Amino acid sequence: MTEWLLDAVLALLLLALAGGALHARNRYAGVLLFIAFGLVLALIWARLGAPDLALAEAAIGAGLTGVLLLAALARQPAGSGAEGVSFARHRLAAAAVLVPLLMILLQGLDPLAEQRSPLPELATGALGQSGVSHPVTAVLLNYRAWDTLLELAVLLLALLGARQLGPARFEVERPWPLLRAWSRSLAPLLLLAGGYLLWSGSSAPGGAFQAGSLLAAGVVLLRLAGVLPALRWSFWPLRLLVLLGLLLFLAVAIACAWFGAGWLVYPDGWAKPLILVIEVAATLSIAASLSLLVVGEAREASA
Amino acid sequence: MNLALLSLTLPLVGALLLILLRPAGGRWVIMINLASTLAAAGALHQVMQTGTQWLELGGWQAPLAIRFQLSPLAALLLLFTAGLHLLVALYAARSRHAIGGEDFWPLSCLLQAALAALWLSGDLFNLYVTLELLSLAAVALVALAGAKAYRPALNYLLLSLAGSLAYLFGVALLYGRYGVLDIALLSELAEADVTTRLALLLMSLGLMLKAALWPLHLWLPPAHAGAPAAVSALLSALVVKGPLYILWLLWSRIAPVELAQSAGGLFAVAGIFALLCGGWSALRAPYLKTLVAYSTVAQLGYALLALGLLLRWQEPSLSAALWLFVLAHGLAKVSMFLAAGELQYTLGSKRVRALKGASQTMPLALFAFAVAGGSLIGLPPSGGFLAKWLLLQPLFQQPQHWPWAIGVLLGTLASAAYVFRVVALGFDRARPTPASFHPDRLAQWLAMLPALLVWCLALISKPLLLWIGGVSQ
Amino acid sequence: MSTTLFWLAVGALLWLIGLHGLLTLRDALRRIIAINLMGSGVFLVMIALAARVVPSDPVLVALVVTGLVVAVSATALALRLAGSAERGKSS
Repeated sequence: MTEWLLDAVLALLLLALAGGALHARNRYAGVLLFIAFGLVLALIWARLGAPDLALAEAAIGAGLTGVLLLAALARQPAGSGAEGVSFARHRLAAAAVLVPLLMILLQGLDPLAEQRSPLPELATGALGQSGVSHPVTAVLLNYRAWDTLLELAVLLLALLGARQLGPARFEVERPWPLLRAWSRSLAPLLLLAGGYLLWSGSSAPGGAFQAGSLLAAGVVLLRLAGVLPALRWSFWPLRLLVLLGLLLFLAVAIACAWFGAGWLVYPDGWAKPLILVIEVAATLSIAASLSLLVVGEAREASA
Repeated sequence: MNLALLSLTLPLVGALLLILLRPAGGRWVIMINLASTLAAAGALHQVMQTGTQWLELGGWQAPLAIRFQLSPLAALLLLFTAGLHLLVALYAARSRHAIGGEDFWPLSCLLQAALAALWLSGDLFNLYVTLELLSLAAVALVALAGAKAYRPALNYLLLSLAGSLAYLFGVALLYGRYGVLDIALLSELAEADVTTRLALLLMSLGLMLKAALWPLHLWLPPAHAGAPAAVSALLSALVVKGPLYILWLLWSRIAPVELAQSAGGLFAVAGIFALLCGGWSALRAPYLKTLVAYSTVAQLGYALLALGLLLRWQEPSLSAALWLFVLAHGLAKVSMFLAAGELQYTLGSKRVRALKGASQTMPLALFAFAVAGGSLIGLPPSGGFLAKWLLLQPLFQQPQHWPWAIGVLLGTLASAAYVFRVVALGFDRARPTPASFHPDRLAQWLAMLPALLVWCLALISKPLLLWIGGVSQ
Repeated sequence: MSTTLFWLAVGALLWLIGLHGLLTLRDALRRIIAINLMGSGVFLVMIALAARVVPSDPVLVALVVTGLVVAVSATALALRLAGSAERGKSS
């Protein structure tokens, strides 16, 4: 009974926040509601037995997306984005269509509650040879490593796409002294937490993406406080850092195909160190890419 | 299989190195594309002899791991992708105005890698990731055109994301129902129940949105017309074909026959509408590149019609028509966009009207446009004609199929009309638009190259038809 | 109604709310939030499906982690595009 109550409250809260995030009068409120939505969602992931995802959602979904949204708001001219009243009426009319659509979706979803998949057993069964003891990490970096590799490429493309749009204006004229002082103590903590998440990923919830976004948060904080110099794309170590994860991953894949048994087939006994190396490189790349996406780069002198 | 992997890895590694080391891109990309084309040709040759090959990534068994599936068709598409990238790179290295910025080079390599990953993948979720990769690469490329392209690019990105999420919903449903993501395994398991139907519906809508198939095509013309010329060529010739391929996989591999038959009719009708609406809009488009972009919408109608009839009648020979359309349209459209870009740049105006007298000022580019247009109309003996002939053959055999043939005929008339609209203006020699500066002959030749290739397809028509019939089954 | 079905329904509803927002709203920032809501809806469906077994299906959880990163990358690009497009319009 109490579980039902919890579920109902969480679901209602989630849906209300979702509606609010979309239809709040002012955009700032919408963004704040969306961040709250992400946090409630993280609770729901934890409730549904997916702590990995709860961490990822809190770090990436709510945290990072929230920062991105706030940064976008700060860049945009104030006062724009009000929705007209006539549209409000259209929206209400369109909402009436949602009920039959939901009925159709529910019809399709209804039989699923009883079905079972063979994959969870296979995944846990093969865990012994995967090199890690946490099944989610095994899926991400061993069974379906190709997805993860492509996902790093997606992140890179987002960054390249954003680069086409010119330097982002993300400057704080004079950083608050308090932020400066705080960031000095907070940033090492974030670094430590990121390292811990990365390390624990092989046996417990955690992993490269969660760790990478924590590190990125640290970088953004330092940048905001003006402690860190502006990031320059023309500085080649930075580019190397961004590409490191993908390059290393590809190198492992190619080496496995060339010398070993096949594409991304880790040789016996090498799975754990290889996965660890890939994870460390991926974490650094993710941190670098995400911080570049948030704070943007300084204007290039040459281009 | 190793050659196919090479054809996929070369552009990917090449792109990363280009970003890291930042050399002058053009020459390197041409070399990468050339090597990748050769590797793909080798893979195609191999696979024609051995039949479909499988590769289980990571060495795990199929339901757990992702599988690569190198069918003859996938190999052909690999070759097609690499070859078109090569043709575009040749032109782009010559005409700097057509690329919008030095970042074109790594982005186009990443686009090629994304497409290659898509053709090879045999896993529904992995296909989702490749789709996202494809759309982000495409959006980044569109954004190269500068501030005026940002709004179309944003619209493209948002709709494309919505399409992906509809697709992902379908994937989740299929996984929930059958517990696997591998396409070959799903094709054995799939039943015609309510969940499968809903999943297929959601996935099809998402993919149709991403492939700009009528009636979900409205985002395409602004995005494709707003991009730099070389980018438009790649987008129209290749990017929209990715989702189309997945759509074909879904309905011809996974969907149970009775579902496929009922959906086939809908696809075919949508195809006819695409032909007519796209043709009509192209005829009325004020700008040259918008005209060419609408012609893509119309031409995708042929592919959709072929897909629909293929499913409706379960007629495997139409599969050959579908893929021949894709090849012929790709080549012709590359030529058309490059020629349009060259004309627009040299004459200094985007309007169709500015082409007045172009047969005097820029005969080569106009000729390239007309030659490519000829294949789009389906004039013999071009590749477009072959495809249309394959499509019409089963239509003529039975009188009750003639209404479809009438639809095809109307579509042909529409495409003839918009191509002639441009060509006729070009031959109007009274008061021609003067060229802003001296036309670049080599660039015009390079723009014509793909169009000549599509006519060459006809020279080898008989072996090609036999062979492509075998490939696409 | 089982817990699984309950969360499946919430996920579907969330997806629909996002879709509705995307189609009816004009402001780019809100449309981007709408896309994110659609994504969260699909993820919720996937995790509800993962929770049919105890412990949760690791494959689905990993897929959602991948999906989340893809979503945040796309969101970042979309936000930058929206900002640039708006600036281009106002100036």
